[in-house]
Amino acid sequence: MTKTLLIDPAEARQRGELTAPTIPINAYVPDSAREAARFGRDGLRCIYSDMVLIREFETMLDRIKKEGSYEGIAYNHKGPAHLSIGQESAAVGQCYVLEPEDFIFGSHRSHGEIIAKGLSAIRKLSDGALTTITRSYMDGAIQRVVDQFSRADTVQDNAVDYLLYGALAEIFGRETGFNKGMGGSMHTFFPPFGVMPNNAIVGGSADIAVGAALFKLINNRPGIVIANIGDASMGCGPVWEAMMFAAMDQFHMLWEQKKHPPILFNFMNNFYGMGGQPQGETMGFGVLARVGLGVNPAAMHAERVDGYNPLAVADAIMRKREVLLAGDGPVLLDTVTYRFSGHSPSDASSYRDKTEIDLWREQDALLGFRRYLVENGHAEESELDAAIDSARNRIKRVLEAAISLDLSPRIRHGDQIGAMMFSNRRRERLADGEPDVLVPLEETRLKVTQEKFRFGLDEAGSPHPKLKTLTYAEALFEAMIHRFYHDPTMIAYGEENRDWGGAFGVYRGLTEALPYHRLFNTPISEGAIVGTAVGYALSGGRVVAELMYCDFMGRAGDEIFNQMAKWQSMSANVLTMPLVLRVSVGAKYGAQHSQDWSSLVAHIPGLKVYFPATAYDAKGMLNLALRGTDPVVFFESQRLYTEPETLVQGGVPIEYYEVEEGEPAVRRTGTDITIITIGATLYRALEAADILQRRYGLSAEVIDARFINPLNYAPLAESIRKTGKGVLASDACERGSFLHTMASTLSQLTFDYLDAPIVVVGAPNWITPPAELEEMFFPQASWLIDAIHEQILPLEGHISAAQRSADELIKRHKAGI
Amino acid sequence: MTVPVVMPKLGNTSESAIILAWRKQVGDAVSVGDVLAEIETDKAIQEVTSPAAGVLLETLYAVGADVPVMAEIARIGAANETKAETTTSRPAISPRARKLAAQIGVSVDQISGTGPNGRLIERDVRALQARTAKMTPLAQAKVRAGEFSAPEQGTGVRGRITTKDLIPTTIPREEVRNAETAKRMPLSGVRKVIAARMVESLRTTAQLTLHASADARALQAYRKRLKHSGKPHDIERITLNDMVLYAVSRTLPQFPYMNALLKEGAIWQMDSVNLAFAVDTPRGLLVPVISDADKRTLKNLAAESARLAETCQMGTVKPHELEGGTFTVTNLGSLGIEMFTPILNPPQVGILGVSAILPMPVEIDGETQFVPHIGLSLTIDHQAVDGAPGARFLQALAQNLGQFDLLLAF
Repeated sequence: MTKTLLIDPAEARQRGELTAPTIPINAYVPDSAREAARFGRDGLRCIYSDMVLIREFETMLDRIKKEGSYEGIAYNHKGPAHLSIGQESAAVGQCYVLEPEDFIFGSHRSHGEIIAKGLSAIRKLSDGALTTITRSYMDGAIQRVVDQFSRADTVQDNAVDYLLYGALAEIFGRETGFNKGMGGSMHTFFPPFGVMPNNAIVGGSADIAVGAALFKLINNRPGIVIANIGDASMGCGPVWEAMMFAAMDQFHMLWEQKKHPPILFNFMNNFYGMGGQPQGETMGFGVLARVGLGVNPAAMHAERVDGYNPLAVADAIMRKREVLLAGDGPVLLDTVTYRFSGHSPSDASSYRDKTEIDLWREQDALLGFRRYLVENGHAEESELDAAIDSARNRIKRVLEAAISLDLSPRIRHGDQIGAMMFSNRRRERLADGEPDVLVPLEETRLKVTQEKFRFGLDEAGSPHPKLKTLTYAEALFEAMIHRFYHDPTMIAYGEENRDWGGAFGVYRGLTEALPYHRLFNTPISEGAIVGTAVGYALSGGRVVAELMYCDFMGRAGDEIFNQMAKWQSMSANVLTMPLVLRVSVGAKYGAQHSQDWSSLVAHIPGLKVYFPATAYDAKGMLNLALRGTDPVVFFESQRLYTEPETLVQGGVPIEYYEVEEGEPAVRRTGTDITIITIGATLYRALEAADILQRRYGLSAEVIDARFINPLNYAPLAESIRKTGKGVLASDACERGSFLHTMASTLSQLTFDYLDAPIVVVGAPNWITPPAELEEMFFPQASWLIDAIHEQILPLEGHISAAQRSADELIKRHKAGI
Repeated sequence: MTVPVVMPKLGNTSESAIILAWRKQVGDAVSVGDVLAEIETDKAIQEVTSPAAGVLLETLYAVGADVPVMAEIARIGAANETKAETTTSRPAISPRARKLAAQIGVSVDQISGTGPNGRLIERDVRALQARTAKMTPLAQAKVRAGEFSAPEQGTGVRGRITTKDLIPTTIPREEVRNAETAKRMPLSGVRKVIAARMVESLRTTAQLTLHASADARALQAYRKRLKHSGKPHDIERITLNDMVLYAVSRTLPQFPYMNALLKEGAIWQMDSVNLAFAVDTPRGLLVPVISDADKRTLKNLAAESARLAETCQMGTVKPHELEGGTFTVTNLGSLGIEMFTPILNPPQVGILGVSAILPMPVEIDGETQFVPHIGLSLTIDHQAVDGAPGARFLQALAQNLGQFDLLLAF
């Protein structure tokens, strides 16, 4: 959507045919002399010893899981172990040639990649850099353990012990693991070595890795990003979304950089998705690399690479790295490999024949590469045997340390986990430097919004003309532009964000103020919109992603529930997640565009959930979210975008301010009954309060919760204690509504003061009907009064239209409605 | 497992109903849908049917009791179950009310709750406290001891309740009253509603009554023709009142401000005329509603008014047939009333009282003649309608009645 691109019908309708590049398959031609020159004799032996170390590490885990001991050391490991025995050459070949600043993201089966990338980084970092990293990470806690058991006499050797110990302690759930045990086997990672989060959701790393690559591109950081995902993940929607996102034409056509994010989708193709076979059974691509043809004219530079030859892999990575650094990505690699081990220790391999496993064992890269080294005179048998002995001894030492409860304690108290859920920091900017902008702040649309009335009513209480009064949407704009001009890392994207200014005009004026790389349109890929934002944020940038309608959250379910919410705590606060997800709650658009799903995210630990209902809060709460370091799902109401501030005296300040996090706002004080709302229902509650006062002489206290999480219950409980009566209302469907959590919590806090149960008024458990019938669906002022009359305090002379008796409640729930 | 039987909520306005008879006795076998009891609401006589099959284990109220809607009135269970297995329900009390009662030292045993399903809530304790405050210390002590309960008002100075006002709790209240000469009838059912509505009407509206009369010759002539038309029964049975209702239904649409409701701080001019009319029944005044009266023919309107009047008399009128009126007509003409001031039926803003047809001197061609006239008394809510507009409506109505035969052409 940009006027600079013309869609020419003559071109679109022209006859022709599409030609596509050919896809090389295992095209690498071994050449011993060239390889010796390229990697050196030492280098080739390192590749072997790295593979041996990984094989021994995983063999140890396999024995521990299946037999309960390794080399006479007994241990019961309760957690998972998804091993990659047989895949070492693919991991080492890839990582050996990467630089420390290159990132790899992995899967549940990534022990090999973690170790390979770690060993590669250790070899390339200076002793000083290594020491700084190991002594400062987690305040040196891991290094202090290593100092107690390591027999290393060099910094590098010590760092290898550090790497293996940090990973194994993590796998065993110890506080001295890389992520204090919060990640475990499937998620172990160590950012200082470029080992980024490994994801237990199949394909989960694809869009996150694209976000990390976006971070490198936009913030001029060195290196490339690899998403190591399995062949079976090619069936996952978010993986496709990630590839579409990475291949967007605008990167080379519209962005100033003329570069694509340096992302390599590396499919570790071991031919099995747990037990199903993508090739021949569960998918139809035949050769996985073929998929590149469907993504962009360059066919993603796709290749199939022989992952059983580490040098073929290394060669491919070196070539593709150049492509990516030149900005010509994305790249797809189909790295053929095979796991001898089962999917997990409980896997009886009922889906494959032993003959097949034996065929691959005959081709085992550890044997093949060893033969190659010896036959070509790159190494002596004795040197290679020594590598095996050394690996075994090292693994034994590391295992003994990692199982020791003295050296490697577990977290003792659950509260420590609670304390990791949020980072709760405040950061004006996440990097130094001047933010890239097109015009000075004074010349932006801010000039227009600041001229407007900042409060909706004049001194006589009559409304100002709407066009001349600052609205909720414009208040959001003011918060956005403030942070854009303060934090150079801040970017925003979503559907229709640029040019259109967002479907509801919140970003109107930003297109003129910001270059493409700070504000852009995405494909209609909600999964990738959120997933890439997760990757951008955990790489260190501030990002605002937008979902046009709350109803589209389902399309980004995993990205919101499992990724955005969890990486701060799964990393033990090594990572932060300065990601604000703006979610617009619809109205008038029926069943799939008018749902308040704030309760869904309220249920997910690790998310902050805000829902402003006034223009003052729209700006003050977005300001708050945009200075924080935590993931915030920021709900906005389409009923309110065009509304000015009418409740907070003085209106929306021109200058910067923040609303205090978690604090509800008392919108009207009262003594007889408390009404607490979330979202736009606030205005219906105020209407109900008017009727209660006028017709029944009751004084209602109306409180706008504003926050769902975190939320300070103290003032809410204080009000209920005073009045003894509470009604909670929002537009969310009543069943499973967050308001029931609020009601239950408040009941616990105020039971002895209650004159009636705290009542929840939500939308019925139906679909949202058409606009013409919305009054049947969204809570109205009269519904609040009916609820009070029927369940709390019968009102003299009131005639209730609602059926809220106990019988009716049971009947409805029995019917499932 | 026992299944509770609750007093049904019939219509939106019912708060309680009176048990007229138990049709099943404790121990009787019942099946789903069997009539257990007959009840009388403020509007009609209804039946309570069994929600389950089994045995009627227990009835919780005696005949004559006025029971809040949704309260449990009986229990159905398996034959081998006994009452003892069921939980006896004691009046519910909110934590706040209980705490407050303890705090101010009042015993809540004597009062009944006004919360949902009779729950005793804060305001009940506050009311008791207010009453207690008006009691002499000796009376308070006696009430606390549990032998006496206190009436709402006392006979002491400024209504102070003294020991001689106390009602012994050991003897049922009815017996105390029966000892006196007066016959005490609890205000309940239709009576209770009428009482509340009338006071509410006078309290919340500004009533102004305008009197006029209409030439009744055309009405009488037409009525006579119908009566002797030899047409089917339903034509013959069209009454003078039906004709007045018809005239009102045709006049109101020209005066939308009269076919209106005053509620929620606004005047609501209604699209169609839902004409309420007063029916005198043994249980008291009932006001059924002829929906869309302005769209009915005279014959159809008359048939509906006859049907509604009959169901009111029988006590079988449905609650919804008593709701939704936009204007009311009340007729005391057959009782010889010459003029009266009808009381508004809020939120309606107008009610027409119809009086007897009486000869009235009229000057025709310089000569005084006696012409039969029908008396019309229009009460309007001056909040919504001023005197002159009200008078214009009444004038137009009188003209339409005077030319009733022409009106039929509309």
